Amino acid sequence: MNRFHRSVLLAISAALAGAGASAADGAAPPENTIAYVITNASWALQATPEMSECPHGLNDGVREQFKLLFPDVAGGKRTLVDTQLRRQVESYHPTAAPDALPFLEGEGPVAPGLDLDGVEGPEDFTSPEGARGVDNQLDRVLGCIANYRAPDGPIRFFEDEMVLRENYNRIIVQLTGVDSLVDDPAVDVMIFRGRDKVLVDAGGLKALPGGTQRIDTRWGSRYIRHTRGRIEKGVLSTEPVDLLYPWDAFYMPTDQYMWGARFRLTLTPEGAEGLMAGYTDIETWYMHMLRNWSAHYQSYGKSSGPAIYKAMRRLADARPDPATGANSAISSALAAKFAEVRVLPFTGAEQAAIAAAKPGVPYRGMPAPRPAEEEMAETHGSAPTTTTAALPGNP
Amino acid sequence: MRSANRGRWGAALAFAATLLSAGAAGAKPAEPYIPEAMPPGFRVEISELDGPVFADAKGRTLYRWPYRTMRNGVTGDSKGQSNCADTPSTESAGLMSPYPGGLLLPEQEKRPSCQQMWPPAFAADSDKAVGKWSVVHRRDGRLQWAYDGAVLYTSVRDRRPGDVLGGDSYRHQGDAPAVREPIQPRPDVPPGLAVSTTLRGRLLQTARGLSVYAFDRDTPARSACDAACEQDFVPVQAPAAARARGDWSIFTRESGERQWAFRGKPLYRYAADLGVRSVAGSDVQGWRNVYTQAAPPPPAEFRIQDTPSGQVLADARGRTLYNYTCGDDAPDQLSCEYPADTQVYRLAMCGGGSAERCARNFPYVEAAKDARGQSRLWSVVEIDPATGHFSAKDQPGALHVWAYRERPIYTFAGDAEPGEVNADGLGEFQSEREGFRAFWWRDDFFNR
Repeated sequence: MNRFHRSVLLAISAALAGAGASAADGAAPPENTIAYVITNASWALQATPEMSECPHGLNDGVREQFKLLFPDVAGGKRTLVDTQLRRQVESYHPTAAPDALPFLEGEGPVAPGLDLDGVEGPEDFTSPEGARGVDNQLDRVLGCIANYRAPDGPIRFFEDEMVLRENYNRIIVQLTGVDSLVDDPAVDVMIFRGRDKVLVDAGGLKALPGGTQRIDTRWGSRYIRHTRGRIEKGVLSTEPVDLLYPWDAFYMPTDQYMWGARFRLTLTPEGAEGLMAGYTDIETWYMHMLRNWSAHYQSYGKSSGPAIYKAMRRLADARPDPATGANSAISSALAAKFAEVRVLPFTGAEQAAIAAAKPGVPYRGMPAPRPAEEEMAETHGSAPTTTTAALPGNP
Repeated sequence: MRSANRGRWGAALAFAATLLSAGAAGAKPAEPYIPEAMPPGFRVEISELDGPVFADAKGRTLYRWPYRTMRNGVTGDSKGQSNCADTPSTESAGLMSPYPGGLLLPEQEKRPSCQQMWPPAFAADSDKAVGKWSVVHRRDGRLQWAYDGAVLYTSVRDRRPGDVLGGDSYRHQGDAPAVREPIQPRPDVPPGLAVSTTLRGRLLQTARGLSVYAFDRDTPARSACDAACEQDFVPVQAPAAARARGDWSIFTRESGERQWAFRGKPLYRYAADLGVRSVAGSDVQGWRNVYTQAAPPPPAEFRIQDTPSGQVLADARGRTLYNYTCGDDAPDQLSCEYPADTQVYRLAMCGGGSAERCARNFPYVEAAKDARGQSRLWSVVEIDPATGHFSAKDQPGALHVWAYRERPIYTFAGDAEPGEVNADGLGEFQSEREGFRAFWWRDDFFNR
């Protein structure tokens, strides 16, 4: 029996032994430690059945925009370079330049999320639970795009499903120094990637508590981060930490980056659920989208890369570029679920790797970006003026 | 995270170990294959990457164009029939979503026809069917060779016997173009085993795709893998009826269990391999993957670099290496990835249409002026950076760049640190259709 098998059995034994002493009543978890593995994640957006947050409807996607921009005129011939490749250029080399296509932002006073800046501003939302000052400008960007809306937006569905299915996405939050899962003013929080499949039920889709995980220091050391937190009335709140986290959505080794990420999770001995909120790095988010969801997939649920990029840039509210002053990050929140998991004790080599881990960095964008003026000239001719030229469909 | 120096040495050592497993320098056995009847003069050539391939009497590799279902239709050859036209395509076919067909293709004045790129393997009136080989009547009245019902072509890219520049035997997944494939004799492996093409060589695996291993301390006469070891490394069993032949022999374990051995080494699979093509067992000291034929090693200045998903080839500074893949959406599905092909798609992808921006975003991996490829697989080509095409002889400003299968190699300037793979999959359909892909030496998460 190798070390891995022995450790798994020991951990399972420990889990079974500890199961009787529920921490729900405020008892400390075994060894004052509890860990949770992520099983679901999707961008936290307001999505009511009546779509009151989208009074003008939902956005067009790649396919609809193509038809709008390049109508199939009888007798006329369109070139691939001037149509398809032009749109691909605008997708792979996006600019913040306004275009003539309509874009419908999520509207209304309500959106899920957290107050990230401690200030209640005019653009802030109120959470569905009534908390004020919620910073979630990503809700305005994605709120009226079918791909991202609950309950069954295609990209939302697949990205959520892949969190459980793909080992690459095995984010683990481990709490140590926990005296009570109900109230503890100070706990240590470690975020890292696990290496193993999640324990699921016979159907394969429902995560179960009590599984085991090894820490991934071989490939995932860039994801290791530490922060502090507190537990109040069973809710964990962590201090902000800049966080690179793995999120493969379609078999691509892609990541996301959140500046000042903080967790707000309701804890139980079996799992955790709540939000991870912070300022999402726009270039990293967009590259993640391009690599996982090229034009075909964007068409599943009518989204458009260039439109999203322009909206993100327009609504960005953090991390101004020192040179241009343009913000490079946008307030956001992920709705996430976790299952309790037993992390195998770290070996000496793993502890050394943890101590030496260097946090990953965000993607910084194309080194030679396409100038906005170039797109403006192509889109509007020589006299670009407005973001809402007279194209059919503009509200 | 390891220090830079430790990482560099670790990578170098891993690289050396892997090459050893693939066959010692100077001793590169070819993949065994099952001989079969062929038309007069036809032969088998041993290619560097794909192993044995069938070739015509002049040594030119033979290809088929398998029928392929795409997003919005099908293309390729049906059995016994060539759909490779002798007139150039002018419009896109709309086979790939979401863009419509009927768009005028770029650079039409230079666009070749399918048959110009893929000369049919014509047969003479006197040629007769033999074994799996048959002679079919083309629509133009001429005769064409077919293998197992698939009509055959040569590639204008191939110049020497053993070249396989027109296609390859890599796995091309769902949304790849309808690519041409070299036709190959069956690998001579026992039932229950298979071979797949990887960057490192022709990987021996079980029929279910699990990698096969050998132990350094095993000899043809004795296994050093005891009962405890067998819990992790499970012998690949040979049935009672199995008989030794060629590179294959039967090793009888102390328990009496019969085990396949290849070139004198008993074979195992690794119990903890998480998926197909995993090579995680090679992390255990003394254990190596088994290749029926090693691929030529990359240039010595390249290194193996750890990433969040496994290992990639990288330049001397640890920057991930990429190649560019492209097949156009015309009915004939011609390549647009080779320097002699149109560069319109690549320039759009890497620079928004600007060659200058392309060169800054995706710099060519330049080779030293005196560098020469040590194989056909890894070569040095001369590129005109203003166009992306091969340069003319002694052309001023031409770049001397490393190439894989004669396709230039790039880094991505958006990878700020060693181990980043920010451009992997950047393109249409995760770049299966068009775009940049990292050179995955080992992928522990996605089985590439």
